[in-house]
Amino acid sequence: MWTYAGRRLLLAIPTLLGASIIVFAMVHLAPGDPIAAVMPAESSQAEIEATKKAYGFDKPLAVQYLVWLGRVAQGDLGRSIATRRAVILDVRDSLANSLVLALSSSLLAFGIGTALGLLAAFRQGRWLDKAASAIAVIGVSVPHYWAGIILIIVFSVWLNWLPAMGAADGGGPLAYLRHMTLPTVALALIPLGVITRVVRSAALDVLNQEFVLALRAKGLAARRVFTHVVKNSAPQIFTVLGLQFGFQLGGSVLVEAVFSWPGTGYLLNLAIFQRDIPVLQGVILVLATFFVLLNLAVDLLQTLVDPRIARH
Amino acid sequence: MAVVTALPHDAEPIAHAPMSYWRAVGWRLARDPATLVAGAVLVCIVLAALLAPWLAPYDPSAGSIRLRLAPVGAPGHVLGTDEQGRDMLSRLLWGGRMTLVAGLTPVLVALALGTVLGVLAGYVGGLTNTLVMRTMDVFYAFPAVLLAIAISGALGPGLPNTLLSLSIVFVPRVVRVAESATVQVKGLEYIAAARASGSGVLPIMRHHLLANVLGPILVFASTQVSLCIILAAGLSFLGLGVTPPAAEWGLMLNTLRQSIYVNAIVPALPGVAIFVTSMAFNLLSDGLRDAMEIRA
Amino acid sequence: MKRVVTLLLALVLSLSLTGLACAQGTLRIGMTASDIPYTGGQTDNGFEGFRFVGYQIYEPLIAWDLTRGDRLAPLVPGLAESWEVRKDQPTKWVFKLRKGVTFHDGSPFNADAVVFSYESIKKKDAPHFDPYGSGQVSFRLASLTGVHKIDDYTVEFETNKPTSFVPYQVCYMLIVSPAQWQKVKDWRKFAEQPSGTGPYKVTRFVPRERLELEANKQYWDSKRRPKMDKLVLLPMPEPTTRLAALRSGQVDWIEVPPPDSIPQLKGAGFQISMNSYPHNWTHTLRLDKEPWSNKLVRKAANYAVDRVGICKSLLNDTCIPATGVVYKGHPWFGKPKEIYEYNPEKAKALLKQAGFDASKHPVKAVHLISTSGSGQMLPLAMNELIQKNLKDVGIDVDLQPVEWNTLLTRWRAGFKTADNEGLNAWNISWNFLEPWSGFGRFFHSKAVVPVAVNTMPYINPEADKLIDEAERTFDVPKQNEILARLHELVVDDAPWIFVVHDQNPRALSPKVKGFVQPQSWFVDLTAVTVR
Repeated sequence: MWTYAGRRLLLAIPTLLGASIIVFAMVHLAPGDPIAAVMPAESSQAEIEATKKAYGFDKPLAVQYLVWLGRVAQGDLGRSIATRRAVILDVRDSLANSLVLALSSSLLAFGIGTALGLLAAFRQGRWLDKAASAIAVIGVSVPHYWAGIILIIVFSVWLNWLPAMGAADGGGPLAYLRHMTLPTVALALIPLGVITRVVRSAALDVLNQEFVLALRAKGLAARRVFTHVVKNSAPQIFTVLGLQFGFQLGGSVLVEAVFSWPGTGYLLNLAIFQRDIPVLQGVILVLATFFVLLNLAVDLLQTLVDPRIARH
Repeated sequence: MAVVTALPHDAEPIAHAPMSYWRAVGWRLARDPATLVAGAVLVCIVLAALLAPWLAPYDPSAGSIRLRLAPVGAPGHVLGTDEQGRDMLSRLLWGGRMTLVAGLTPVLVALALGTVLGVLAGYVGGLTNTLVMRTMDVFYAFPAVLLAIAISGALGPGLPNTLLSLSIVFVPRVVRVAESATVQVKGLEYIAAARASGSGVLPIMRHHLLANVLGPILVFASTQVSLCIILAAGLSFLGLGVTPPAAEWGLMLNTLRQSIYVNAIVPALPGVAIFVTSMAFNLLSDGLRDAMEIRA
Repeated sequence: MKRVVTLLLALVLSLSLTGLACAQGTLRIGMTASDIPYTGGQTDNGFEGFRFVGYQIYEPLIAWDLTRGDRLAPLVPGLAESWEVRKDQPTKWVFKLRKGVTFHDGSPFNADAVVFSYESIKKKDAPHFDPYGSGQVSFRLASLTGVHKIDDYTVEFETNKPTSFVPYQVCYMLIVSPAQWQKVKDWRKFAEQPSGTGPYKVTRFVPRERLELEANKQYWDSKRRPKMDKLVLLPMPEPTTRLAALRSGQVDWIEVPPPDSIPQLKGAGFQISMNSYPHNWTHTLRLDKEPWSNKLVRKAANYAVDRVGICKSLLNDTCIPATGVVYKGHPWFGKPKEIYEYNPEKAKALLKQAGFDASKHPVKAVHLISTSGSGQMLPLAMNELIQKNLKDVGIDVDLQPVEWNTLLTRWRAGFKTADNEGLNAWNISWNFLEPWSGFGRFFHSKAVVPVAVNTMPYINPEADKLIDEAERTFDVPKQNEILARLHELVVDDAPWIFVVHDQNPRALSPKVKGFVQPQSWFVDLTAVTVR
């Protein structure tokens, strides 16, 4: 098992390096002079020279990459063109907001999804199962940015219950909670659908195992069957939850744009329209690193829970 | 945000002849009302998009600014008019073309390119496999939405860039499924035996590729269409995809957003269109998966 | 189960009630900018930056009187009590400074602060040169060549030639605190803890999210001490977001509500404030390259645009059609030969005359537009309509939307950069508050980039002559006459596609009282109260 964990860790390194190459390439992918991609237009000649040196723009691409990677390793992601602040600061501030939203929506989806999935499995074929499946399909099919707009119209404008945008900066925890409610719901729709489906099928698998069928035939208490089902499908469910959390972190761009939620997605969207390439790079690099590490953690945890996987 | 697909590791490989298998699939599909309805809806949507030039009552880019935001059911405009006074029905029909192109092309590209790469990696194995699969891992390091938006953002808006960025998102996914399925088929005992005897490997491989590799890939790809449609429309919604004045559902959703308080129904229509199409694709792929007995 | 439902209901209720408790004497404004305008003095984001950040935190030597809505806002003494041009040397202007004014950090305002601020904009080798701020404002101060201190409360400005435009340039130079800069020695840090003399001072700065300001209780003009305690500025580039934020009570004031929503807003008790002001919304064309190098094509474009449709139908009467740089009735309007009405047939005929043909040889152009921004109104919807209008007569325009401040940055660099080489026009709204902003910076051959912003470039010796004459003329009615002749010339040359004049709509919650919308790009917030 430990060798598996070690191998998995080693595999993450080339993946991360590959991801960093893609992020690095973005400066050169953007049309125009790379110096223009990373510097404000009104920079003085001295500033331009300094940046050229820092980035090594006069050197071959491979060297530039290594120079850049070295700076990234020290936490230097360059400066934002728009705010002239260190990118790492901007990303750090917005990452906290995105993490909160990813966590809250994952938990919401997890809670409702698990309940629906289990209910559906135990009532297989009945109307409850059908309703749960319908909710699951709707969840994965609805364009969540559109759902976000509808939520704003209903809850912010018509009912005036919840705020429509932003993250109640400085308004205390309750205000923050109010602000995050609608984006959380909009963002939870897709994982809700996914988790409901996975839980239902995982629970059905356990329920259809012969010994469980036997247990049920023997009249074993429903509660014990339920415990058994939950215990045996838990690893799979948690894996999905972990992965969904990662997707939420990257997938929130559209929802954050609709709700002006000051997270990484909002920052990314702004950076794109301001052509703020350093910020674009910073956000993507940090999120990708986060995503890889999260997948790694999910994998390792899964192995810990179910050592059979390592043999695979 | 994708429908998570567990690969068909422990599914029983299908060993019987392909004809009877496909017949069985057809038989099961014919008895699945949800899939049939979804299929019928999709056929309608695709036909409507294909026949847009003949079905649309108006030119999708023509209209009078003086007739803007007419409600649903207005005389001459069954679904009303948009914020520029253009006929909504015509724009939805034409927009469907653009959305379907943006939603299907990347998956088709992924299907072709991904299958070739995946089968190659799985069949040849060794260094080729490592090279291909580790490269794909790199793209897996980015959540799908993020990758698509980042690439589009760096390249700039426009349909070609949207197609490119979405293809980059979906190719690695198909490669993974194709590789894993190929490796499984390769490991089957009678294929190993056939290889050992040096005779008839190719026909057998062709047969099994069809039944056991292409099946899962097709089903997987079908699950991705709905995601791709939502993403493509999402890119346009952000202003990174199709550019005005073209009609595209995501873009229409974006430009009609400002009018949502004047007339809540008309601006919601493109969203409904995306929703229904994406749901139909999801239901169809579910039905296909069940009928083909592929676990996902 | 019942208990859970009750609990949930209670939670939702308590969550919605907390919204009522906050906001006492606080004005929260939803701006169109996508970021907080630069707070380090010479602000960015166009005039919206001046409106809410520049003129609230800082002050110029000569200020605008924004207290009345019934006339064009005039200039009044700001940090200078008086100024005059020297009779013996008409290139020198003496300014007497106001005494007893202090910056937010407590240091005194004096001649050194004026020199320091000037150098931060104009003196490239000074340690306190602010390249970013300078980029924002130096083109507005094109005639100024130097300043020196005569005594602690007197300074003398020098100009490159005798010019009556000096007060109109000095009013954009914001005075920053040298003492505060000496503390941080870096403009980025200064921008995070800025210090000016204005009626509001910054208390909290969250990049991209919000800027919080509080009333400057020590403000020197007792008549203009702010009546409310706090001012919060929130960037909201998306009109729907602004509207939703206003209607759900998250902000009290939004700039440019979606025009479609105005009747509903009025019905719900919101105040809609509008007034005409020196604004024009145009496509500034590139004249040294096909297709806009051809005057006939430019005229055709001007006859192709349905301005009445834009104002009446698309924008719900929040603007008036523009047939020139200034509106009819303005002292500079004159009697132009061409009155650009909506006439697609005439446009087609002009194009044919120019040798273009809709099917075989259509006119093709790429225009850079913004997604939002100060004075930009609803750029996406308006441009889509204009694109359609032009297409109808045989002009294919490819629209490239970018973020507002990015558009401004690219515009200042001119068409001849690697980024801009493929462009044929930019869609930016301009002000004509004074002759330099209205004409000089665009239509004088000496104002080409990088000196000022004649990006087209518009080269016309006749225009040069008229601008120079106006600049030399200190008598206002005479100056107006010269400018009217200039305007006739420009309208006939059609270097722009003239589209509309905005009425600057803003929507205010019923709690906001005491606001007067001046005939200006800027606002005075000191009399506003929020209950």
